[in-house]
Amino acid sequence: MGRTLPSITQEFLQEQASFARFRRALRRSDQIALDDLFVSAHKHIAAAGYAAHALPFEIFLLAMLLEEHKQVMLLRQQMDEKLRLHPGDD
Amino acid sequence: MTELTGWLLDVYAGEQGLTIWLLGEDGERRCLRQTFPVTFYVASPAGERADGRAPDLRSAWRWLSSQPEPLHLARTERRDLFAGAIPVLSIQVQRPGDLPGLFRRFSTVFPNLTFYDADLPISLRYAAVFGVFALCHCRVEVQGNQIKTITALDSPWDLDPEYPPLRTLGLEPDCNPAHAEPKGVIFSYSGYRYRLPLEPVRGLLANLNAILRMYNPDLILTNWGDTWLLPKLLELSKDSPLLLNRDPSALITRKEQRTYYAYGQVIYRGAQVHLAGRWHIDTCNAVMYHDYGLDGIFELARVTGLPIQTVARVSPGTGISSMQIMTALRQGILVPWHKQQAEAPKNLLELVHADMGGMVYQPTVGLHSNVAEVDFVSMYPSIMAHFNISPETVVLGEYHPQTGLPITRAERGLVPETLQPLLEKRIAIKSQLLMLPKWDPRRKRYKAAVSAHKWLLVTCFGYLGYKNARFGRIESHEAVTAYGREILLRAKEAAEDLGFEVLHLYVDGMWIKKPGSVTVADFQPLLDEIVTRTGLPIGLDGVYRWVAFLPSRVDARIPVANRYFGVFQSGEIKVRGIELRRHDTPDFIKELQQQMLEILAKAPDAEHVSDLLPEVQALVRHRLADLKRGRVPPEKLIVRQTLSRELDAYRSPSQAAVAARQLAEHDKNLRPGQVVRFLYTLGKPGVRAWDVPGELDNRTIDVGRYSTLLEHAAETIFQPFLSGGIWIRLPLLSDLFYPNRTPVLQE
Repeated sequence: MGRTLPSITQEFLQEQASFARFRRALRRSDQIALDDLFVSAHKHIAAAGYAAHALPFEIFLLAMLLEEHKQVMLLRQQMDEKLRLHPGDD
Repeated sequence: MTELTGWLLDVYAGEQGLTIWLLGEDGERRCLRQTFPVTFYVASPAGERADGRAPDLRSAWRWLSSQPEPLHLARTERRDLFAGAIPVLSIQVQRPGDLPGLFRRFSTVFPNLTFYDADLPISLRYAAVFGVFALCHCRVEVQGNQIKTITALDSPWDLDPEYPPLRTLGLEPDCNPAHAEPKGVIFSYSGYRYRLPLEPVRGLLANLNAILRMYNPDLILTNWGDTWLLPKLLELSKDSPLLLNRDPSALITRKEQRTYYAYGQVIYRGAQVHLAGRWHIDTCNAVMYHDYGLDGIFELARVTGLPIQTVARVSPGTGISSMQIMTALRQGILVPWHKQQAEAPKNLLELVHADMGGMVYQPTVGLHSNVAEVDFVSMYPSIMAHFNISPETVVLGEYHPQTGLPITRAERGLVPETLQPLLEKRIAIKSQLLMLPKWDPRRKRYKAAVSAHKWLLVTCFGYLGYKNARFGRIESHEAVTAYGREILLRAKEAAEDLGFEVLHLYVDGMWIKKPGSVTVADFQPLLDEIVTRTGLPIGLDGVYRWVAFLPSRVDARIPVANRYFGVFQSGEIKVRGIELRRHDTPDFIKELQQQMLEILAKAPDAEHVSDLLPEVQALVRHRLADLKRGRVPPEKLIVRQTLSRELDAYRSPSQAAVAARQLAEHDKNLRPGQVVRFLYTLGKPGVRAWDVPGELDNRTIDVGRYSTLLEHAAETIFQPFLSGGIWIRLPLLSDLFYPNRTPVLQE
């Protein structure tokens, strides 16, 4: 029951581990933000596995971007709502 | 010539031909004989030379002609599953009992030949020719005790076969021999139950022999019979014969204990004692006995064609490969002694695309209401049957990453051919189970059958890619997972097209919700749509009143697959991946989690769950107080862990290994794969094996450690009902914890 290739989760953990030195040198507040980015990539690990991309880190970066953009969309929607309810507040 | 009807009990090779035990409809147990020559084949691995001669087969022929066994040699052509028709030397052995010995010598002298049909169980050969199997209802014509013809009156695929009234003798030592030295044996048969002491030996043996002679049981059902009781009885009866075998001319077969590694687990199988003419089943050494019992063993024997005593002790993998061998024998396909198909070369990108498992999505963590769980019915076997996936139907060299490898539909493959009737029977029994009332006596047998089938079907997929499977090829294994991913994605797309939100996907199941969809009928259009898009049967497992998907223990922001608990609309609780489901969790902790869930299950809907949290919290406080005041019986604190290696092989011994070493000091040696039971104790070494002799001092129990376990288990259940999303360690007993807030329902 062995595997020839590492699973996508192993791949993800290896990628994350390879940034350990980078992370260590960051400020604590930046470390938290970096960890958040990895958490958001982790949410799409199934899709990353299905993509079977030769360079999985590209997919992880895209997944981080995707989660960031979802946040932007959400904030934009909330702002629009606010502007609609209280026009001239800005 | 006399005609008899009855049930087949056993078939094995005797001195001349075969010995067949028949339980007649008249209640008579008959020992019959039949001549049954068996054939195996050899091929030259290099094939024939250009001049049509195969030199190594010629010398094999010469060697075989000089052997003492009566043989019939011939040159013929047979079909290899992969290579098609090939020239072979056929060796017909007149007495089936001669084959194993002859083959052993033959394969040592000619190790380079390719052997076929050489090591098949005799019961499979017999079943392939006559269509009869253990417990088959059949009609035989006999002359003297010689069988002339035998005909099956039922088939393995009958839902309600008629079973004979069996006589069962129960035997068990008066305690578990792994824990203490037994002093007596408990007999139970036809309504009697009594205990006889092991000493004096003569009385015990005389009594046992009398029962064996007078009651003459068909089945000896024991506890620890393989590993302790029968070997012990045989040792005690060295001077006077013990009538354990019904067939006095046959020997008792014994097999050594062994440990092996399968499906990520170390598995231990005890030694075995097989009887001739009646069956011996050790409930402690039988595979999955706790799961499907005798009914399951009988069902497995019927569908696989293996003898009862064998099928009770082998893994489901052996069962499914026996079914494949039977299909091959019936279709005249050669069964290789060793597997020959190596993996075809792939480039890296192809490997990256092919070497993937099932689709597992991260769930949306939190509490959700009105969630439906839909599951594909036996997904992987259905895929194999529906898309004709079999080692020989996979076209190599043409690669298509999205749908897996191309499959030839020209001929029905060996694996789909084997699976089809099993799948149909499973679905027929499952639909019967849905309709039968709760009191119906057939339910128990149906449930056992469904459970036994399940394991056959599960392992069938694994065996496609298993390195030792006779009919395996990794590409067909990869094709199944590729189709599986495709199908799950199609199901996801169907759900999203119909406006459902997909909360979780797990290999063959999907959790979905949509505002307004509450009843079973609300989800039916989606089920129909999925069947249209995938062609595979899908069922609704149920609709949850509420279900909570849990995050990782390590990082609460990260969701993990298959870790959830919830309550169906029927009130049934379903739990996966939490402490309650783990084998090593002490009963005390399991019971607590179960009770917590039972309280929460009383809520009519998700909105009212929070009303019950104070009650749950009170329960946790009570249990914690019980623990601290020593009111929990020590046996409920036992931790059970499986040893993963030999004791000497541990570099830093686990707690299980430390406990096992304590046992070893008292001459109780456990093997890898066996379970060791222990308690957490204060001071060094921190554990105490449960089975070491001597009184346990309750004051040495490490209450602090058990409290931590308890708090963790309670947190797991509370977690989804607390706001904020991010979990912080909360002091369980402080008022801060009092969950006087509304749960956060995920919209």
